[in-house]
Amino acid sequence: MIELLDPTSPLVWAQSQAVDLGWGLALRWGLWLVVGFLGLFPGIVAYMVWLERKAAARFQDRIGPNRVGPLGLLQPIADAIKLLTKENLVPAGADGLVHLAAPVLVIVSAFLMLAVIPFAVGMAPVDLPSGLLYLMAASSLSPLGVFLAGWSSRNKYSLLGAMRAVAQLVSYEIPQVLAVIPIVLWGGSLSLVAIFDKQVEFGWFIASPPGLLAFLIMLIASIAELNRTPFDIPEAESEIIAGYHTEYSGMRFGLFFLAEYLSVFAVGCLVTALYLGGGMPLPLVRFPMNLLGDSLPRLILVDMVLLAVFMFKVLLFILFMFWVRVTLLRLRVDRLMNFAWKYLTPLAIVNILFAGIWYECVIRAGVLTLGGWLWGWVVTGPLVVFAVWLVVWINRRLLLGGPAGVGRPSLGGTRVDAGAAPG
Amino acid sequence: MESDIPLSWFLLFAAASFAIGLIGVLTRKNAIAVLMAIEIMLNAANVNLVAFWRYGPELPEAGPVAGIVLAIMVITVAAAEVAVGIGLILLCYRRWRAADVDRYDSLAG
Amino acid sequence: MIRVLFLVIAVTGLASALATVLIKNLVRAALALAGFFFAVACLFVLLEAEFLAALQVLIYVGAVSILLMFGIMLTRGVQGTDPASRPSAWRLPGVVIGLAVFALLGYAIFQETGLGTQRAWGAIDPRPAIARGTVEPGAPRRRAINDMGKVVGVELMTRYVVAFELAGLLLTAALVGAVAVAHREDDEPSRGEPSRIPSDPPITTSP
Repeated sequence: MIELLDPTSPLVWAQSQAVDLGWGLALRWGLWLVVGFLGLFPGIVAYMVWLERKAAARFQDRIGPNRVGPLGLLQPIADAIKLLTKENLVPAGADGLVHLAAPVLVIVSAFLMLAVIPFAVGMAPVDLPSGLLYLMAASSLSPLGVFLAGWSSRNKYSLLGAMRAVAQLVSYEIPQVLAVIPIVLWGGSLSLVAIFDKQVEFGWFIASPPGLLAFLIMLIASIAELNRTPFDIPEAESEIIAGYHTEYSGMRFGLFFLAEYLSVFAVGCLVTALYLGGGMPLPLVRFPMNLLGDSLPRLILVDMVLLAVFMFKVLLFILFMFWVRVTLLRLRVDRLMNFAWKYLTPLAIVNILFAGIWYECVIRAGVLTLGGWLWGWVVTGPLVVFAVWLVVWINRRLLLGGPAGVGRPSLGGTRVDAGAAPG
Repeated sequence: MESDIPLSWFLLFAAASFAIGLIGVLTRKNAIAVLMAIEIMLNAANVNLVAFWRYGPELPEAGPVAGIVLAIMVITVAAAEVAVGIGLILLCYRRWRAADVDRYDSLAG
Repeated sequence: MIRVLFLVIAVTGLASALATVLIKNLVRAALALAGFFFAVACLFVLLEAEFLAALQVLIYVGAVSILLMFGIMLTRGVQGTDPASRPSAWRLPGVVIGLAVFALLGYAIFQETGLGTQRAWGAIDPRPAIARGTVEPGAPRRRAINDMGKVVGVELMTRYVVAFELAGLLLTAALVGAVAVAHREDDEPSRGEPSRIPSDPPITTSP
């Protein structure tokens, strides 16, 4: 790590590509694998479940888990033991091999996402030159696992849930990917470390109108990608029991459970690294990075600050997800698709143009100046507001001007004839 | 690297998977299975393109990433082909209630 | 070491390709196809094109195999079994033709002698080295390998701009075409469909 900290180069924290797979690197990766991916992240996930139960209980005027240990702190461990010792039931008609492979695929997808997150300086497990694309590819593995889970269970509710889940995941992947393009444009690289470096120089990417819009699109799309309320139609228990994991029990169900919370954590890390400036405590100040010298104690100090702030932001994001979950109601299926295709996707596409304007105003110059920054806000701010208003207005007009059946679900498999609506 | 992979190994892999895909196209009857076999053949071609890009001589007039760009084009075309192909198969299925390629014989004399 | 890695990946890939072609159950065949795509992505990583590998996983494993499975669901029975498939007179000729093509390609690979100053394909063992150290202007491939996303983007916008625009046109045409083809017209004469679900009475807002 120390050889990266060359103070003469402008990109002191930049990526070191063309890695040599020597013993040092192998040791580092081994540490990440054992400590991080096998020990730390599952532990974080277990306590996220505890936190969610506590937070939801507060929202609903209850106490939450309080029996096992002080404040119920041992509850996750008890749950894990219960899941591990339960019997794995496989339905008689199920496809055994695929039934086993599906949860593994889902959890592998969630773990792989964490592999490129830059937690602090020198603390990215792997720094790929095309890390963001890798991340998208890793997250696109989970629909396959979900689909196979639903298909292999031989249960019509599972299959319904899987079809709903895949349709939703594939639809919301498009605004998600489009919302990342402004970040790639401003960062000038697909490497998450390089994107973090750019945010050190030019402020958090969320501190700009196009960045804010992209962040909101990303937030909504990732809640949908994670199948959480209000987008939990694939697991709607009042309609289709538990969706694609109806037929799973024991640790196989536990894997789905782990994967869901691990994905929440991974998306929190991703959003923090892409939009919220990683571990930077203040938007436009290079605060801990200017302390970075060439000595090891300074590096450790800076890393501690960065890591603490990073984790704090991820925690806020997770708490926001819990808040959304206990507050909002489930969407209807047709509105879900409309929202992805008629609101989010056009906004994300238009937002790329605004991101280009912001790039010309602020980042093109090479250094962050207050004048350029204010000018960027003045130019792009009204444009973003106008675009949001326009998209909402057009959709309202389409909804009101269309035939009477358009905004409603058609249950019979055939659509309502457009001309048949009586006045 | 001392023990690098020889170029011919990649070419042999590509040739073998191309042959497997060809067998699939010729012997499968289900239209979607045929589509999958075609995807195998296209991927085999992609492996060849990237292998030649990496092992071939560096020509200034060809640009630094000729093989990669060609492979990206192949992927694009393959994705479009699958989308349209599935649409066509669905249409044929609705007409004939069958997804087997030898049932689509309305033009046979 | 790296050769062993290659052999493992290649054997996995070929086994999945064979499984795709041989397995009767179409959903399992599609799963094997996803495995083959993944093996090809691993080969791209071995060829130092990890940008392309990520693209391969994103498009093929994430989209194409899902699309194929949807197609299987909508045409076959839900469990994807394919009882009618095979045994026609084509089986033996098909296998013979496939093996003959493989033999021909293998023969060609090892008999190729190289054009002009180039070496024969069978003789190329180590790949051309990419120099380490500082980025000198004379090493475009090294730059391409180390920052492939950027280099591919620049190349697509300059040297290959016509191909890029054509690909965009093709994708648009495919999008519109797929929607137009798969769209179910209500007044389409439904041949072979035994019974149609009667249309719902229109829902009105006025009492």
